[in-house]
Amino acid sequence: MARRRREIGKAGWGRTAFSTVISFIYFFPVLWIILTAFKSHTDALSTPPKFIFTPTLDNFVSVFARAYERGGAAVDTHFDLFFFNSIFIAGASVGVALIIGTIAAYGFSRWPLRGNETYLFIILTTRMLPPIIVIIPIFIMFRLSGLSGSYIGIILLYAAFNLPFTIWMMKSFFDEIPREVEDAARMDGSSEMKIFFRICLPQVKAGIAATAVFGLILTWNEFLFALLLTGRDTRTVPVAMAQTIGGDIGVRWGLLAAIETLFLIPVVFVTFLLQNQLLRGVTFGTIRR
Amino acid sequence: MAEVRLTGLTKSYGSVHALRGVDLEVDDGEFFVLFGPSAAGKTTTLRVIAGLEKPDAGTLMVDGIDLAGTPVKRRDMAMVFQSFALYPHLTTFQNLAYPLREMKMRRAEIDSRVRETAELLRITHTLDRRPASLSGGEQQRLAIGRAIIRRPRLFLFDEPLTNLDAKLRHDMRAEFKRLHRELGTTTIYATPDQLEALSIGERIAVIQHGQITQVDTPDRLYAKPVDRHVASLIGDPPINLVKGTLKLGGNTGPAIELPFMELDGNPWRERLQALDAGTELLVGIRPHDLSLVEENGDGVPATIEITEPQGDITILDLSAAGVPLRMVVAEATGARYTAGDSVRIALAGADTRLFLSDSGTMVA
Repeated sequence: MARRRREIGKAGWGRTAFSTVISFIYFFPVLWIILTAFKSHTDALSTPPKFIFTPTLDNFVSVFARAYERGGAAVDTHFDLFFFNSIFIAGASVGVALIIGTIAAYGFSRWPLRGNETYLFIILTTRMLPPIIVIIPIFIMFRLSGLSGSYIGIILLYAAFNLPFTIWMMKSFFDEIPREVEDAARMDGSSEMKIFFRICLPQVKAGIAATAVFGLILTWNEFLFALLLTGRDTRTVPVAMAQTIGGDIGVRWGLLAAIETLFLIPVVFVTFLLQNQLLRGVTFGTIRR
Repeated sequence: MAEVRLTGLTKSYGSVHALRGVDLEVDDGEFFVLFGPSAAGKTTTLRVIAGLEKPDAGTLMVDGIDLAGTPVKRRDMAMVFQSFALYPHLTTFQNLAYPLREMKMRRAEIDSRVRETAELLRITHTLDRRPASLSGGEQQRLAIGRAIIRRPRLFLFDEPLTNLDAKLRHDMRAEFKRLHRELGTTTIYATPDQLEALSIGERIAVIQHGQITQVDTPDRLYAKPVDRHVASLIGDPPINLVKGTLKLGGNTGPAIELPFMELDGNPWRERLQALDAGTELLVGIRPHDLSLVEENGDGVPATIEITEPQGDITILDLSAAGVPLRMVVAEATGARYTAGDSVRIALAGADTRLFLSDSGTMVA
C-alpha cells in the first residue's frame, strides 16, 4: 500500500498531535487560572480538582466590590482604579520610552558619535544589574524628590527601564533600512526632519510595534518597584492582587484567578492587535531583500 | 540645462582614496558616461556632484557657479540610484508625487504630472501599488520617473541598469536615449558595462582608481586608448596584450620581437625610433585582427585551447608559443574546430596598438 503523499513542509498528523500536547502543557497553568476564576470557593479548593463544575461569575463581581465580612455590606475594592493605573502607567511609560528611544536610536544609527559603540554599551549596562540591587538608592531618590507614590515617578522609572531595550531594538531596525532611500529624499528636497518622520519612521513601523509589545508586557507585569514606589491611589494591579491574598476565609483562589484572568485580557488584546506587525518586526532583516 | 565642471576633486574614506583628483567637463545637454570597473569612484563622483558627499578638496561648478556651499535640495539635480531607493511605504503615485509635493506644487498639477510621467514610462497600471509588488523593470522605470518628474537641470544615473536582466537592459538603453532626446537634460550616467557605455554615451570618461584616465567619444576610446588599461576595458572580447622587445637598426626598419613572431614596426616607424632599442613593449592586438590562414600559408602556428560559441560568432582561445591569444571567427568557421586542433594564424595590424611595458602608456 502506497503511503499517501503530502506537500513538502506540511506537518503530518503525528507531529501536529505532538505539538498540540506540548502546547497544552505550556498553556495548562493559564487554562487552570481561567477555570478557577469561574469556580465557587468550595469548587476551587476541592481535591481532586474539579474539571466539571457549575460556572459562576461571583468572583468577577467581587473583584470590584465585595463584602469583607460575612453578612457585611459590599465595599468598593477600587480595582477599577488599579486597572486604570496599570494601563495608564504601562502605556505612558512605554510611550515615553518609544518617543525618546526611537529618536535616540535614529541618532545612533545615522549620526554616530565618536565612540558610538561605547555609548551603546553603557546604555545597556544600566540593565545588567538585577533590579533588587538598585532598589534602595532608587527608593531614597524617590523619597527625597517627592516622586514616591506619584504617577509621574513610576512612569519615569518604567520609561527609564524600557529605554535601553528600546534604543537597541530601534537602532537595529534603523540600521536595516537602506540609506540610499534617505539620500533620494534629500535629493527630492526634503529636510532632515521630514526624512525622519516621512521616510524613516514609516519604514520601521513593524519595529515600533514589536518594541512596544515587549515593553508593555515587561512593564505590565512589574511588581517589585510598583510595590515600593506606588501609593494608595497609584497602585498597579500586581501590587493590589498581592494585597488581596489573605482574609477571614483563607486565600480566595477564585477571586485571585478572576483578577489574573482580567489582567491577561489587555496583554492578549494588544498582542493580538499587533501580531502581524510583531511577526514582521521579529523576523525583520532575516531575509535578504 | 547645466554645464558641469569638476576640478581636482579628492575624497577619502579613512585610508581608502575614493577620488584622487578628478577633472571633468560635461557640456550642456550632453549625455555623458562615467565608465569604470566597480570601486573606481563612479558613485562617489556622482554623490559629490549631488552634494550627498563633501569632497576633501577640489571644486564643483555648475553653470559657472561654485556649489560648495549649496545644500542638496537647492542643487536642482535628480539621481537614480543603483538600488533604485524607492520609498517602500509609498505607492507608485506617491513615489512620483513626492518630489513635487516637496516643491509645494498644487494638487491638480501634481496629479496631471504624475499621470503624464507614468504614461511616458508605461507604469500607469501600477499607480496604486507599492514598489515591493512591482517587477524589476517597473521599479526601475519608477525610479527614473521620480527623477525626471521634477525636470531638474541635471540627471545623475548611478548604474541604473545593473540590477536588471540582459533583455530588459537592452530595452532600457534605448529608453534612456529616447528620454534624453525628448528632454535634452544634461545627464551623467555611471556604468561598469562597456557595452552600455559605448552604446549610450556621447562622450565617455574612463575612471580607474579614483582618476579619470581618458575622456573621449566611443569610437576614439576604442581606436586610440591612452594606455593599456583603457585598451583592455574597451572591446569585447578584450584586447590581447603580448609582451615584446623593440629591435632597431635592422635593414628593414624597426621591428618588435614577439614570442611567436616578429612584428614589422614600420607603420609606427617615427614613434619607435624615438625609443631605445631593447625597450619592452606591450603589443595590443584586437581579437578581430587575428585571422586563420589555410594550410601551407605563412601564418604563425597556434593551438586551440577552448572554443566559445556565442551564437553568431565564436571566440577561439589560442596558445601561440605559450602566449594566450583570443580571436573571433564566424560561427560557421568556429564549428570546424575543437580544442586541441593546430591552426595557423595571421595578424592584420590595422587596430594594433603599442604600449610601454612599464608604464602602460600608449606609444602608437
